[in-house]
Amino acid sequence: MAGHGHAHAPPADPIARALARAAGVLPDQGPIGVFVHHNTLHAYQHLPFHQAVQEGAAALGAEPYLTLPAFRAAWRDGRIADADLRIEIGRALGAGADEWVLGTLTRAEVWHTLTVTTADSDDAAGLAYTVHAGVARECEDLALWQACLARTARGPAFVPADTRRFRRHRDVIVALGGDDTDVAVHGELIRLGSGFLDHGHAHATLPGRDRGFLAAVSALYAGGAAAPRGCRGAEADMQAVVDSHADALGVLRAVLDRLGVTGDEVEPFVFATALALPGWAGMFSRLERHPHEHAGATPPTLAEFLAVRLLLERCAIERAAAAVGVPLAWADLRPLAPSPSPRPALLDASLLWWLARAGGFTAAEVTAWSDGELAALWAECAAATPLARRRVCHEAYERTYRRGILDAVAARRALPAEWSTDRPRAQFVFCIDEREESIRRAVEEQHLGYLTYGAAGFFGVAIDYQGLYDREPAAHCPVVVTPGHEVHEQPVYTELGWHTLRQRLRSRWLGWERAAAASSRTLSGGAGYSLLLGPVSAAVTIAQVLAPRAFAALTGRMTAAVAPRPATRLSALRAAAAAPESGAKPIGFSLDEAADRVAGVLKNIGLVRDFAPIVVFLGHGSTSLNNPHESAHDCGACGGRRGGANARLVADMANRPDVRAAVRQRGVAIPADTWFVGALHDTADDSVKYYDLEALPGGQAARFDEVALALDRARRESARERCRRFHDAPLDLTADAALAHVEQRSTLLAQPRPEYGHCTNAVCIVGRRATTRGLHLDRRAFLVSYDPTSDVDDAILERILAAVGPVGAGISLEYYFSSVDNETFGCGTKLPHNVTGLIGVMNGHQSDLRTGLPLQMVEIHEPMRLLLIVEATPAALLAVAGRQAEVAELVVNGWVQLVSLDPASGALQCFTGGGFVPYEAAPTLLPVVETSADWHMQSRAHLPPALVRRGLPDSVVGPGHHPVPAEVEVIHG
Amino acid sequence: MGDLVRLALPLAIVAPVAAMVFVGLRVLLADGRPRETVVYRLVMSGLGVSVAASAVVLLRFLGVFGAPVAGEIEFGSWLRVHDFEMPLVLLVDRVSVTISLFAAVLTVLVGRFSRTYLHQDPGFIRFFVLLGFFATGTQLIALAGALELFFAGWEMVGIASAMFIGYFHERDEPVRSSVRAFATYRFSDAGLLIATVTTFELLGSARFSALERAGTLPVGEATIIALLFLLSAMGKSAQLPFSGWLPRAMEGPTPSSALFYGAVSIHAGLFLLLRVWPVLEVSIVARAAGVAVGLATAVYAAAVARVHTDAKGALAHATLAQVGLILAEICLGWITLALVHLVCHALLRLGQYLKAPNMIHDAHRLGHGPHAPALLERWSPRLAARLYAAALHRLRLDDKIDVTFAPVLGLARALDRTDAALRRVLSLDGPRA
Repeated sequence: MAGHGHAHAPPADPIARALARAAGVLPDQGPIGVFVHHNTLHAYQHLPFHQAVQEGAAALGAEPYLTLPAFRAAWRDGRIADADLRIEIGRALGAGADEWVLGTLTRAEVWHTLTVTTADSDDAAGLAYTVHAGVARECEDLALWQACLARTARGPAFVPADTRRFRRHRDVIVALGGDDTDVAVHGELIRLGSGFLDHGHAHATLPGRDRGFLAAVSALYAGGAAAPRGCRGAEADMQAVVDSHADALGVLRAVLDRLGVTGDEVEPFVFATALALPGWAGMFSRLERHPHEHAGATPPTLAEFLAVRLLLERCAIERAAAAVGVPLAWADLRPLAPSPSPRPALLDASLLWWLARAGGFTAAEVTAWSDGELAALWAECAAATPLARRRVCHEAYERTYRRGILDAVAARRALPAEWSTDRPRAQFVFCIDEREESIRRAVEEQHLGYLTYGAAGFFGVAIDYQGLYDREPAAHCPVVVTPGHEVHEQPVYTELGWHTLRQRLRSRWLGWERAAAASSRTLSGGAGYSLLLGPVSAAVTIAQVLAPRAFAALTGRMTAAVAPRPATRLSALRAAAAAPESGAKPIGFSLDEAADRVAGVLKNIGLVRDFAPIVVFLGHGSTSLNNPHESAHDCGACGGRRGGANARLVADMANRPDVRAAVRQRGVAIPADTWFVGALHDTADDSVKYYDLEALPGGQAARFDEVALALDRARRESARERCRRFHDAPLDLTADAALAHVEQRSTLLAQPRPEYGHCTNAVCIVGRRATTRGLHLDRRAFLVSYDPTSDVDDAILERILAAVGPVGAGISLEYYFSSVDNETFGCGTKLPHNVTGLIGVMNGHQSDLRTGLPLQMVEIHEPMRLLLIVEATPAALLAVAGRQAEVAELVVNGWVQLVSLDPASGALQCFTGGGFVPYEAAPTLLPVVETSADWHMQSRAHLPPALVRRGLPDSVVGPGHHPVPAEVEVIHG
Repeated sequence: MGDLVRLALPLAIVAPVAAMVFVGLRVLLADGRPRETVVYRLVMSGLGVSVAASAVVLLRFLGVFGAPVAGEIEFGSWLRVHDFEMPLVLLVDRVSVTISLFAAVLTVLVGRFSRTYLHQDPGFIRFFVLLGFFATGTQLIALAGALELFFAGWEMVGIASAMFIGYFHERDEPVRSSVRAFATYRFSDAGLLIATVTTFELLGSARFSALERAGTLPVGEATIIALLFLLSAMGKSAQLPFSGWLPRAMEGPTPSSALFYGAVSIHAGLFLLLRVWPVLEVSIVARAAGVAVGLATAVYAAAVARVHTDAKGALAHATLAQVGLILAEICLGWITLALVHLVCHALLRLGQYLKAPNMIHDAHRLGHGPHAPALLERWSPRLAARLYAAALHRLRLDDKIDVTFAPVLGLARALDRTDAALRRVLSLDGPRA
């Protein structure tokens, strides 16, 4: 995330300062082909959470928290407990909470009323209608209502803060009833910008794009192109730019001058202008900082984008200002902004009615209030701004969830820690991803000897990986890491001939397909392909829509029969002598490096003894069709790519006798009869694909078969658990039907929700699985295996938090922002999305570039900061934070909620306000169910934790925990 | 078995709209929002009945279940005033049965697609209601035996199209685009309306069969009627200079874009010309104009498709280029080629539209080919740049139309202001709190 340079001193030039600030706020999402989850307001991460979201949202005109109606719905549904809301109001008001505002009505009560009721509604027409129709709440106490009407008619009136913003000429002109200049300007900018940034969709690119955006665009107009009607006159200015060879900053200065924006006005004006079309401006800014992601020779710059924008905009403003009859100079125009329309008295009466009800006042008392008393009440209402109340609601929302989880963790930990001492039957290492929580549980419930672990899905091997048919290597590791090694997938010797032939056929076929796609859009090609292939194409489309699974299976089988993929191996190890060429990365690891990686990942997860005969590493990825956001479902710890290669590589290295010998020197003894298997779990269709099984020793076959069978059962159960969230899957479906259902989702062109992704992420638990096993966490928990007892100097903890902190927080915060304001931070509903230039999506035919996550990915998300529970002492955590600046920043500024779970005592301490504060867990009786499905298949809603008997030894689940009644509706689904 | 056709023909037309009416009644009369499954099943049964009925008509036309049925099938009169009559007459011939079944099947396919695509969208019911409305419109167009019935179908398709473009009405841009498409339709549909009335006046009937007598008309009159038909077709099929609304029509949900602008609605103008071919045939001027418009549109659209970077916009113009070509084919008299080209083209584009969001996935799989600069770019970069700009700006067609109609809009705005002022005086606006 280079370039978010808040650490540098601000530039002296106000334009440069504005550009630097804008670059920090604008969306930092790169071309959509590789989607990396990150903190949407990363540039504000150096600020405390609440200050940051409020400032960032204000800059972008976005919502920092859920809206009050959304919070009210959560409060009604019990997702915010009323007690928690009152606690948070008390925290916000401090000592003043119990002060009386009016009579015995306390400040806290005023806040509570304003928060949970519609007292502060500004919908006068709606209120008038419902009152008239007799269905308004106000009609419940008509005498009081009449008194409120009469009392507010006498004044004083409630004056809420004016939140309108006039930052550019356009804002004032629109408020005065003039044309919206952004319509013409944006239409033009979008077409020019997409032509410039195109990654290869259009046949023709913007002429002269290799000379940069400003030069190319000004040359285009100077060469005779017509400016749009709304911006007429821009041609001459463009010609002037060509003649004078002005650079972007020069153009900006000249235009600002002509718009009469001077002195202190420059910085805010340029900043606001940069944020007026944030998606496109953000892409220019992003590519300026990451020029290798741009398709053309000269990287785009934000300054050039704004220069072109203002050249067009000035003409549009001039026309619009003349039409409305207002001056062009900003200093003269700004004061002409109309004052806000007066607030209808009806709304004041309604506000008063709700407060009077809350305070238990009678109509007579209301009538008798003096102007001073009423003014005091209004002052308190003004102090309880919607923003302040939303902040309180947000804290309460998190508090309610946090209590539930912490109490459950404490209750689970209080169970007797009995465990079998037999050798485990199999061990499964999954990614920490919360989507793997369900399949882990499903594995564990089959046998007490099945142990699962969670490690960041690149499994400690940061590589540039090039698959058999990849054109170039791509980094498979967290984005903050730069790989030092390349690993290639290579065909085995006996298949080399077939590989060469297949490679040739494949590239010919793809070339033909590419040509067909492109030329079907041309005049002659379109005619030819219509007549030749129209009916065939329709038959394929019909098959894909009506029988997607069968079609996918058929094409897959046909490919496998006609042109099977050659068997391959990874170039895991390199010969010690093979020194890489200067500058190039070594291909494969040396023996020592390999041993370091293997020992590292095993130590990280605490798997250093008691190895099972079979250990499976499962990376994950996701397959879906018609989904521009497909990559967002892949593994975040692999930089938005699939983790299969990493799992395969670790297993491959760990199976080599020489590596094992070196690993033994590092203190981890892997028995000779243990075999590692790499695999890929597809989180969309819940398939599991194993790698390099041909190398599996025959003697292990029976054991592996058992493991494969267990995973096969588990993926079906996991599919079923996922299906409960999909409203188009019945709640009573069987595990087999569920698997068919998710397979269909992943192959259907029409499916906007192939999977729900990280939608349910909420909590991250770093610690021994033994302390959480058997706890149903509803696919909401990142589970990171960490054994504090074997980590003497906190080095492992540091490694884990350095990787998990930013990745987990990045995912959680991306979902947070895309949920609280899906239209601004997210990209809205997928249905009108139109892929443009292969770099992103627009709404319909031309709109801003939509960044963030679509509605269909976040619709069941509960936007909360990640609750990071770590099985480590506060001292250890503080020590790690002292060494890891980014982790410290996330924790201290409250971007994650850190909780320490003492490894010895089990005591919980929450990090708040700069230090750890003990948390007193309420004694909790967890519901007990036989299997996970008994718990989750009864509702579609979020579920509180439960104990699953199958996942635990019989002796552990004691009589203190009540079984759940058979027909319980947990939370209305 | 002639009765079977008499049952199947109206069923093919009425079933979808009847389903739509049932959904409407369910929404209006029962409490609560109907479940998606209920809406889907109702509309899909309507569409399914339509497909089955259409298939029966085709079989009867081919001579299965008895002697082949062809020609006009009478269902009495729609309206009769003295000697003026609007006949309820449907036509069974090669063209009508093909297009009827073709449109019905594609609509069902898009219905199935949309069941999943629009799941949980707030506009789910509206989408399916409009789909039923549209299906009836297309069946009317396909099977009508006279211009009046045809016009009814034509308008239903037009309204459905505008409503689908404005589907996401909570944003400004779709509404603007919807209004633009609707205004274009209104303007060009006047052609069809006037032509219908004129035909009735001159030939005594607006039946398609009556158009066979167009040869007896003076050439001038036939030419005027033919040009009016052409105008109407140009609006519906987005031919120059009315091409501006087509890219904007991409505001709707993807399946509706596929059905309307990939497959069915965009080809409706061509179908009109196929239907009124006898009139067109005798007018060399109209045919020449049609060829010119068609070829000009084809070249224009192909040029625009080259520079468009967005999946749906490029597809829209690629489609438009072929529609222009087919228009030229029709006006050249290559009727069979045009019909085959039309059907095959619609089949190709439907799939391409439905797979438009898959572009990123495909780009990963296919990779980039070498990008060779076009001949013109090497030969004259200046001219290439001019052409690029012209294509990128789509010849500023919308601006030119806006300028042309600016006086009308000015008048409308003035009236609106007067109205608002009057309302204020009469205090009809909102509650006065």
